[in-house]
Formats: sequence, structure tokens, C-alpha cells
Amino acid sequence: MTDPSARVPGPEAHDLPKDAAHRLEELEHGLFTSDLSVNEFLLVKEAGFHPLGFVMGSSIYHIGIQTRKWGESQELTKLTEAMYTARELAMTRMEEEAEELGADGVVGVRLDVNYYEWGNDSAEFIAFGTAVKAEDGNSYRNALGKPFTSDLSGQDFWTLMQTGHVPQGLVMGTCVFHIAHRKLTQALGSMGQNVELPNFTQALYEARELAMTRMQDEAGRLNASGIVGVRLEEKSHQWGSHTIEFLALGTAVTRGTGEVTLPKPTTIISLDN
Amino acid sequence: MTGLSDSGNPVAPPDIPAGDLPEAAVRRLQSGAYSSGLSVPDFAACLELGLEPVALVQGFCVMQWAWYGSGSGYMRGMSPYTFGSGGGGYSETYRCPHGFVSAEHRTWGQNLEQPWVEEAWARGYGTAYTRMIEEATAQGAHGVIGVVDRIGTVADTGTTEFHFLGTAVTVDGGRPPAGGVPWSTYLAGQRLTKSIEAGFMPVAVVASLASVRVWAFCVTEYLMEGQVGMGWGYTGGGPQLVEQVSKAHMAARQLARKHVRRQLVGDELHGATIDVATRELAQGDEVIDCTLRGNRVRRFKDFDPIAPPRPTVRLG
Repeated sequence: MTDPSARVPGPEAHDLPKDAAHRLEELEHGLFTSDLSVNEFLLVKEAGFHPLGFVMGSSIYHIGIQTRKWGESQELTKLTEAMYTARELAMTRMEEEAEELGADGVVGVRLDVNYYEWGNDSAEFIAFGTAVKAEDGNSYRNALGKPFTSDLSGQDFWTLMQTGHVPQGLVMGTCVFHIAHRKLTQALGSMGQNVELPNFTQALYEARELAMTRMQDEAGRLNASGIVGVRLEEKSHQWGSHTIEFLALGTAVTRGTGEVTLPKPTTIISLDN
Repeated sequence: MTGLSDSGNPVAPPDIPAGDLPEAAVRRLQSGAYSSGLSVPDFAACLELGLEPVALVQGFCVMQWAWYGSGSGYMRGMSPYTFGSGGGGYSETYRCPHGFVSAEHRTWGQNLEQPWVEEAWARGYGTAYTRMIEEATAQGAHGVIGVVDRIGTVADTGTTEFHFLGTAVTVDGGRPPAGGVPWSTYLAGQRLTKSIEAGFMPVAVVASLASVRVWAFCVTEYLMEGQVGMGWGYTGGGPQLVEQVSKAHMAARQLARKHVRRQLVGDELHGATIDVATRELAQGDEVIDCTLRGNRVRRFKDFDPIAPPRPTVRLG
């Protein structure tokens, strides 16, 4: 399969709803909204950034069907593309909102998938987070000239900046894979034995590696030097237990040019319960 | 137990070919950017220790899990006429003290270690671990930190998947790892820092499963059902020890510890966790699985007292 991330059609430019534009206009007058906790707010400020507003993007996507062979493990490329494109659309719209606010980046990004009774085979993909801007006037936009995105909390954002690294973008890779059913002859052939099933091992290995490779390809396009906090999520959504989406997510980072001296950790005794 | 090298580290059995990483894994590892499963605080602590993340590495093995198969030795072990498990493991036989003879009355019972289950588990664990280490070796890593192992079923196939994930690291100016095999640890971040500060270097993650089958005899069955007066040596109306089940639980924990001790080869075990799961297969027939995981560590310097801790109160 070709890399789905390389041929995302891309949403229409400036296709934000009218109400979003109105809400963002209000935010441009100084009022900010954010889903940061008080501690996160404190540390984002400490890192030299100011929250501009709560931004989000959404995409309701019809996920098609794809035939699968009962006894064969295979990637379901149409479903992979659907799951990737839908998330990408939601992310791009969130970035557009951040762009409207003149943000340098978005922190605390969360990606959710919701299913509704009224939409068979449809799902809503939502991305939301808090747009932030650097107080020192420098631009922290990524290699593509867009606001960076990251799923890091305020605390993690501050810690990352202390290490001399800067987030570039929330990167992801996905692979929807059909796990073969075992044929009766196969099951009988290994009945009563504790043995490795190499076909299953290879199939699952392949699926996860594909997801991770696609995530790393995204990081490569951002000229990132690494990805931190990688999560590997597995969900069957509404496809039944043999069809699994492997989703790899993480924050791509680059090392800054300045010399960084990491503070020596201090041992503490917490006086809290 | 299989799945252990001479040095005690978990390894794949000899029939698993070296260098059997899938093509997708090789392709991913050849790309430029590193990836790491470390959280940001763990990432920062890793840099502070002089460790440089190289790649997120993983290993898998899907095993068929035969609990009842003819090759399992199940029938042999459970025979009332044959003492011992037949596999050289732990077993204890219990006999009815009442002298009843009836189809419903269980006149014998047995606690039985299931070495074939333990071996299969060690084989799956060792194979997946070796594949992860193989990925790390291919990256020229010195070690793997923040190892996570997940053991679960694949879809509804009745198979068990062993999945290892960790972050391969290199040590600034460090010598190649002993024998060319990267070390590994479940620890990362502050726990790894504290362990190294205290003078212990990670050697390898170690783990074992001990599996004990309990086939209840009449006394155990009555006690488990809350019936009183039928107990063996019953003396009154107070709570009573269910001796057979208690001994099986104790044996499972001791066996897990014994298996892990074999892997330490004189080193120390730190940060151990123990998980016990019981599964009832039928009335009076259950399996106790005890998994012990930990970090094999070796002292490399004398204890260097750390600065007195600073008392803190969180404002969160």
C-alpha cells in the first residue's frame, strides 16, 4: 500500500463554519479560553507562552466497507485511508483555527472518535487543544510554517522545553488489519501443543510496524529529530474482534540550537497523602 | 524452564532463527528519526543520565495455549493412582478422611504444578523479548529502558500474544554492552535514576510464570461452599483454613520466585511486582497463575548517600 498520509486530499482551505469564525474573532480581542488546568496554565506561562484560545476541528466521515478474506491476515487499505484521512481533516481544521488566532502552536491536543446512532458506518473525529503563542516574539512554527501541535500536557510541555527540545507536531500512523480466522485443519494440526503461531506473529508485527513507520514518515516530513511519548493504541471500533486498528501517536520534536544544562534532579518527600 | 540463556537472560528457543524481524520492522528502524515510548519526564530524566534515545523497539510472539491437550500431561498428573505431576514439579495429594464412597463425593484431590504451561509461557516471553533485543542490537543500542510487556489474547482466536515495547538507548561515551547484547530494564525516569544513583546498573528484565492446578477433594469443596462440620480436623464454629487452596497459592508464589531466582545468576532483583490470577475451569477445578516480574541489577559502585530529600507540598 502506498502511504496514506502522502495523499490526503486535504480539506478546503478556510472551510471553518461561520460560528467558529465569530468565536475566534472574539478571542482575538484579548479574551482567552483554554482547557488547561491551573497548574498547566502556570507552567505554559513559565515556559514563555501565553494561551490564546481553545481550538478544535471536527470531521464526520463515512467509513466504507471492504471485503476481507476469512482465513487471511491482511491490511484493509480502504479502512486505513478512511481512519487516517478523517483524523487528518479534524487536525487540519484545528490547525486552521490556531492559524486564525496567530498561534505558534497547540498544546494538550486530544483526538477522539465518536459514534452516533444516526450515522451507520459513520464516525465523528474530533481534535481539540489550546492554542499558544510565544511571549518572546520568536516564531515557534514548525518546518512547514504551521503552528506546532502536541498532545503534551502543560507540565510535559514545560519539561520538554527545559531539555532544549521544541515540539514540531502531533504525528500519527495507522493501519487497519484483518486478523485471519484459524481454519479447522490448522487448529487440528496444532491441537494440544504449546507452539508459536508464526503467521499470527508476523501479521501483528507487520500491522504495528506499518503504523509506526507511517508515524515516523510524518515526523520525517517535519524534519524532526525524534518522537516522544509514543502510544500504540489498538481498537476494533465497530468492525468485530478480528479487524483491529493499530494507531501510533506521538509528539515529534527537534533539538534546539542552544546549549542546555539540564537541572540536576532533586529528591523530595511529598507531604501530601 | 526453557527460554533462559546461560547467563540467565530470557532468550528465544534455539529453533527461532536469529534475524527474523519482519521487513516492515527493518524499514522502520532504518529511517532517520528516533521514536521513544518515554513520557516527557522520563525522556528528560534519560537525557540527564546521559542516555540518548535511539528507537522504539518491540517484539512479538503469538502462542497457541493448550491447557488440556494430550501432550500436556494433564491426565497423567491428575490420576489418583499416580503420585507426582510426572513433570518433576510440585504436587500434593489429598485423600478423603470420611470413608464415603459415592460418585458425588470427591475422595481425592491434588495440587499440581503445570510445567508445560510454565515452559510455554517462558517460550513466548523469551521469543518476544529476544526479538525486541534484536531490534535494539540492530540500532547499536547499549540498553533498552522503560520496557513494557503486555500479554493478552488475539481477537477471539484463543491464542496468546506476548508483546514487548521499550526505548533503545545509547550511553554517551559508553563501551559496547557485554557480549554485544543490550541490557534492559522495566524502569525509566526517576526510578531508573534512583537505582543508578544507588549504585545498581540494569542487566535484564526477568519474569516467570508459575502455574498450579487445584483439584479439590471433599474437605476443600465443603469449606469453599461455606459448609461447616465436614472439615478435616474441624474443631469448632470459627473460620477455618482451606488448607489445600492456601498451599496452592503459597506454592505458586514460591515457584515463581524460584524460577526468577534461577535467572538472576547471583545478581539482585529490584522493583519486583507479583500478579496472581485464578481461573475456575469447573466446580472444584481451578488454576492459579502467578507472574513475577522485576529488574535484574548488578552493583557497580558503592552506595553514595544522596542529598537529604526536600519536603514538598503539591499545590495541585
